[in-house]
Amino acid sequence: MPRLHVTFRVGNASYAVPAADVLHLESYDTATYVPGAPAYVAGLVQVRGRLVPVIDLRVRFGLPAIEHTIDRRVVVVQVGTRVAGLIVDSAREVVKLDDAAFEKPPEIIEQQTAGFVKAVATIASRLYLLVDVPRIIGEELTP
Amino acid sequence: VEAAELVTTANQALLEIEAGYAEGAPRPKAVRELFRALHTIKGLAGMVGVEAIVEIAHGLETLIRTADRAGGQLGRAAVEVSLQGVRAIGDRVRAVAEQRTPAAAPERLLAAIANTDPTAEPLAAAPVMSSAVDARLSASERQQLSQALGSHTPAWTLSFVPSEANAARGVTIGSVRAQLAALGDIVKVAPRTRKADDGAQLGIAFDIVLISSASREAIAEVIASPADSVVAIVPIAPPTAALPVAQTDDADDADDARAEEGSPIGRAVVRVELGRLDDLQDQLSLLIVSRFRLDREIATHAERGHDVRGLRQVSELQGRQVRDLRRAILRARMVRVAEVLEPLSLLIRSLARTSHNEVRLELDTRDTELDKAVADRLLPALVHLVRNAVDHAIEPAAERVARGKPAFGTLRVSCREVAGNQLELAIRDDGRGIDRASIARRAGRAIDDDTELLEALCSPGFSTRDVATRTSGRGLGMDIVRRIAVADLGGELRLETAVGAGTTFTLRVPLTIAIIEVFSFECGRQAFVVPVAAIEEIFELGDAGITPPSAHGGRSRAQLLERRGKAIPVFSLGVELAIDDGARARKALVIRRNGEPVAFAVDRMLGRQEVVVRTLEDPLVHVPGVAGATDLGDGRPTLVLDLGELGLAVRERGV
Repeated sequence: MPRLHVTFRVGNASYAVPAADVLHLESYDTATYVPGAPAYVAGLVQVRGRLVPVIDLRVRFGLPAIEHTIDRRVVVVQVGTRVAGLIVDSAREVVKLDDAAFEKPPEIIEQQTAGFVKAVATIASRLYLLVDVPRIIGEELTP
Repeated sequence: VEAAELVTTANQALLEIEAGYAEGAPRPKAVRELFRALHTIKGLAGMVGVEAIVEIAHGLETLIRTADRAGGQLGRAAVEVSLQGVRAIGDRVRAVAEQRTPAAAPERLLAAIANTDPTAEPLAAAPVMSSAVDARLSASERQQLSQALGSHTPAWTLSFVPSEANAARGVTIGSVRAQLAALGDIVKVAPRTRKADDGAQLGIAFDIVLISSASREAIAEVIASPADSVVAIVPIAPPTAALPVAQTDDADDADDARAEEGSPIGRAVVRVELGRLDDLQDQLSLLIVSRFRLDREIATHAERGHDVRGLRQVSELQGRQVRDLRRAILRARMVRVAEVLEPLSLLIRSLARTSHNEVRLELDTRDTELDKAVADRLLPALVHLVRNAVDHAIEPAAERVARGKPAFGTLRVSCREVAGNQLELAIRDDGRGIDRASIARRAGRAIDDDTELLEALCSPGFSTRDVATRTSGRGLGMDIVRRIAVADLGGELRLETAVGAGTTFTLRVPLTIAIIEVFSFECGRQAFVVPVAAIEEIFELGDAGITPPSAHGGRSRAQLLERRGKAIPVFSLGVELAIDDGARARKALVIRRNGEPVAFAVDRMLGRQEVVVRTLEDPLVHVPGVAGATDLGDGRPTLVLDLGELGLAVRERGV
């Protein structure tokens, strides 16, 4: 079944997250640093009046930091009652990806991404990595 | 303040009287209450010499006194003019409160009050009694009776027949009167002639109407202690049974509920300035701090091998008492939602008059309560929503009828307490609903569901003003509504709408909010705030400042500074938070940790202000040392630090 996915780039790879889990896409400027939070937490931002913790996916995926660019976006996702933002290098497209197109990721990718990628799909010769959002936002932390 | 409260009471009474028309039931109690409120206002205004208020209140008082004498019913015209009068008084009360000179009483209003026939368009609904006594009751006596029945005090009719036997025992009409008066209120004692052939020697009997909670037997004893006295005690049928409009049990229940909770009179109420409650809370936090010190002392003694079991027990007991006290203080800050929403009834009334739409407001507040501070912030949002609904959402009567709806619109505000110490308020109208397509055109983007619709409506500056009356009918000031509900109060705003059927806005707000006074300061180029109550003192670090400890990854180290003959450890906050940028710290904030002063060096102070603290619930940012976040006005979150906890936490992590 084809579903809408929000796609974004972090480093050299394209990622996808089901559009149903995405609340908003916001431009990203800066976050309020929260001392003592996990290192991958860039801090807090206020999105439409709501306080949202944001996760730097570069840090989460173990990629080197980059200079700030105007392309950076916050993909605000909701998992259960939790709302969090994912900082990505850029996010533009919403594409329809068929469930059937996703396959189990090759072991090498699974290892490299520390289990944050749960499936891959190749559409028009582009590889999309479907991210495991609950895992990224630290499902083990969920009360 | 008291006058403002009385104005509210007067308004409530008037609305109550008006509600009486809708239900076909008179509201004599409300008329009395209105009179009392006005009378007190007049007295107060006279004391402080505000002639304008005295004049208006006097005019209204005269009007209502006439009405009361004529049976306690206020006609529609009189209610209308009274509302105007009370509003005029309200305006002037506010003026006085703000130390402005109140405007003189408007001649036209005074004339209108003087010329109104108080009883025009009354209700023909005095209690009807089967007894012949009924015909002999005066209007005001009937009034008294219906009031009693309205408050469910039993009323009785009885006859006392004087006889020689009675007289011999000292039971005369005089003694009966005295004894009955002790049991209750005598409404009427009416003599009538009796035929002599029924055994009584005197051809006279007294029909008595009595309001009394005493038992039938007790009353009978008063007049009928002798067996040969003829006694008839009949409870008068409640007035509802005789009313032209059939009332359901539900309506009766609603009446009961109103009688019990609608009027502030009868509940002992003391007005307290919110600031005093805040003081109380501050004192309480000091108490909590000294309790911690006590516990620490106990621990020290225990370490020395002393027997501290007794002390521990007392300390635990005290801990529970402090918790209870805290809860009690929180309760003291709560106001009934029914009272919070009271201004909405007035708003609806004035809006309905200008827009010529008839709108009924249904309030279902149950027993919910809300922190006064939340209530004060929330009300403007509710006013916005109600105004929007009446002005735009509710269709004109003709259009409504054409669509098969009742001619009058209904706006229902209901609320309930939900999990997480939140209050959920739903504002539902049965108007035209919001047309997504038309909002989408205006917003210039696709709108697929109600969430996106709300998003579009709440964009700052979004207005549907020019299409409001035809298609959408919403959007005015919605950004303000959301700012209040979400950003200020940390709540939620939701929307559900169905074209043709109506719209529901649902707000969820915390029952209480933490508003605290904070110092804001900068450290490592980031702004932070700390509660003023936590800070013992702030001092300037000398020219030397403090040298940040060398950052070779070791434990954070404190420098010792002498302060009033005492060595105080000074931590660099920037280093503790791992945000040090090498800037020289200029100020030190002194807190007490376990009773000992500890200072944190910060770059510079920014100011002192009151902020609403929002807690951080997501586990990603739920970290020790951070009590919450606030918005200092730049749209960015600013962390509220708990310095005591922070220092400990940082040390534990071994940074």
